Amino acid sequence: MALTFRGGIHPPENKNTENCPIMVLKDPIYVRIPMSQHIGAPCIPLVKPGQTVKKGEMIGENKSALSSPVHASVSGKVLRIESAINQNGKRDDYVVIENDFLHTMADDFEAHDEKISDISAEEIIDAVYKAGIVGMGGATFPTHAKIKSGIGKAEKLIINCAECEPYLTANCRLVIERPKEVIYGAKILMKAIGIRTGYLAIEDNKPEAIETLKKILKDDRLISVKVLKTKYPQGDERQLIYAMEKRELPQGKLPADLGFVVFNAETCAAVYNALSKGQPVTDRVVTVDGDCIENPGNLLVPIGTPFSDLINFCGGYSRTPDRLISGGPMMGAAQWDEKAPVIKGTAGVLALSRDTIRREHPDCIHCGKCVSVCPMHLMPCYFAAYSQIGDYESCDAFGIKSCVECGCCTYVCLGNVPIIQHIRIAKGKLQQKK
Amino acid sequence: MDLLRVSSSPHIKHEDSTRVMMTDVIIALLPALIWSVYVFGFRALTVTLLSVVFCVLLEGGYQLLMKKPVTISDMSAAVTGMLLAFCLPATIPMWMVMLGDFFAIILVKQLFGGIGRNIVNPAISARIFLFVSFPSAMSDFSKPFSYASPFAFVLSAEETDAIASATPLSQLKNGVLPSDAGIFDLFVGNVAGCIGEISAALLLVGGLYLMIRRVIAWQIPVAFILTVGAVSYFFPQTSFPLKFMISELSSGCLILGAFFMATDYVTSPVTHLGGVVYGIGIGIIVCVIRIWGSFPEGMSFAIVIMNALVPLIDKFCYKRPFGWNPVNAFQPRRGEIK
Repeated sequence: MALTFRGGIHPPENKNTENCPIMVLKDPIYVRIPMSQHIGAPCIPLVKPGQTVKKGEMIGENKSALSSPVHASVSGKVLRIESAINQNGKRDDYVVIENDFLHTMADDFEAHDEKISDISAEEIIDAVYKAGIVGMGGATFPTHAKIKSGIGKAEKLIINCAECEPYLTANCRLVIERPKEVIYGAKILMKAIGIRTGYLAIEDNKPEAIETLKKILKDDRLISVKVLKTKYPQGDERQLIYAMEKRELPQGKLPADLGFVVFNAETCAAVYNALSKGQPVTDRVVTVDGDCIENPGNLLVPIGTPFSDLINFCGGYSRTPDRLISGGPMMGAAQWDEKAPVIKGTAGVLALSRDTIRREHPDCIHCGKCVSVCPMHLMPCYFAAYSQIGDYESCDAFGIKSCVECGCCTYVCLGNVPIIQHIRIAKGKLQQKK
Repeated sequence: MDLLRVSSSPHIKHEDSTRVMMTDVIIALLPALIWSVYVFGFRALTVTLLSVVFCVLLEGGYQLLMKKPVTISDMSAAVTGMLLAFCLPATIPMWMVMLGDFFAIILVKQLFGGIGRNIVNPAISARIFLFVSFPSAMSDFSKPFSYASPFAFVLSAEETDAIASATPLSQLKNGVLPSDAGIFDLFVGNVAGCIGEISAALLLVGGLYLMIRRVIAWQIPVAFILTVGAVSYFFPQTSFPLKFMISELSSGCLILGAFFMATDYVTSPVTHLGGVVYGIGIGIIVCVIRIWGSFPEGMSFAIVIMNALVPLIDKFCYKRPFGWNPVNAFQPRRGEIK
């Protein structure tokens, strides 16, 4: 029987690209690489305009705070360093590199040839930091910090291949085409933290991937496959832990406090590539889909490539899009600029039409559907109501801080109320008051 | 390229809306309506149609007059009209139907702020208003299969007298098991009563349809019906407790109230636990009025009384958030719930 959690929704999966092999998009004409692609302090640029850089060369770093370095994803000349508003609405520095199409590789990074058991945890953490690896499911938390926080506390590792958002199939294809990278990467992480039990969590709507993995992991003593019922947001850390062991992560605590550490499948693959090939994070797999894209597909894209390059590679627009989204349709951020760059956390580029959403005449009819689908067991209708009248203290008393903004409530709302928007306003105001 | 819309996530929406839910309610009520036309003649249909059309006109007209967005396409006015008609006898004068519609749509719903803002169920409140204002007209039940004229605006006194009959509930009130109707007749609906309230069987079918379509949850109807069953079994007013219980359960507007009135979204609690408390409360009040009060039917009053208590129920019957310690979760919440 598939494991699951309470609450949640099952939107149309639209996994149109689950049989599309990953295609390589090489050679964008230019890339714009932001200095802040992760949770933590932005990097400080290490290069100057006019300088020639090689692919994989470190171009930004911040040693003084929690951060993760960024690298050039193509070789070429640094045209300029410009300041612009990034996807989160904050001002950021972008290093613009013009591709010279020579594919010159940087060599400041060593590959490790030894067996996993012969590398020390410090070496792994150092390599993971230098490679600029962050959570590539979208959360972008620096992986080296997660490893350090898990040492001594975590006993089980979960490889997150749930991919619960509709449309996205990047993890699915990665696991079908390059499963060994994901599994060995996870084992490297397990060695670094000192864990002997690993689970590969995958939803049951990926039968080909599950079969591939079960074959490879049949006799594996460290990692086993756990099949989860397909439901959104199964990929959330809290719901993963609950599905595995029926234990609730207490409010304010991290998974390590319950003995778990969770890594996205692509993050594991990046760890493997960093240690075995000396490759920093310079590319990632992105699903390009939506009802306005001509030929949806999965692309391996250099970091910093503008979205318009990906869309043109996939045949352009079949109709005029209403929204261009970075990530999945439930939690992704709508973009205003087609030239926004792909960053380490961009799992998908979706072009959606107006047909997918209608929000006229919002009016809460007190139906309680939001209450029944909330995976955090909150009462979103009350957050929306209190937020609209400005009573943010009541929002706090009802537990708005536990809200993960997954969007289940807004998805089902019969009265068309934009609940998440009200919740975000309330959270912002409560944050300002601190 | 055109401008892109930068809106907050989520960017997809389930296709269910108020209109889809309300359409499902209308579909669920149709079997009972067709049966009613068979038993009471086409007047049942004309009264219902008048009620629906007039409710929609009133709501649209009010919204146009007050320069608010016109929301009649969400079908909630149509459902109110249909439910109100179901609470009326087929012999009712047409102008009384229109007056009841006015009370429900304008006074109870729109003047309080429109959909989602009314405190009590509009259809039930209008029924109470008509019952208290025109008690004899509201009790002019016709015998089954005696058809009153469909288009007469007001039925003449001779016509109503000729077809008058007592309802099973009034007989139960007097301590007598319904004599001219066996349990099967009660359940299927070969009895006198209001337009939508005679056939428990067809209303149950409608209720099950709504549960399958996930328009309503099972907590409120089941809590309510079990409570009524338990109280009427343990406090029977006639000789056979089991027969009394089943008669009480299949007569009057109990099934209609359980599946269509008590489950109205706006006036019922938001959580399932709250729904159970609400259902039990309605059940107790219905039985108290039926057994010890002076009316044979207590459904309308019970629902309206519990509607007023819903904010209080919501305040106490909330869920424990994920990851919260039960001690922290059940602290009294600040702020007034509206």
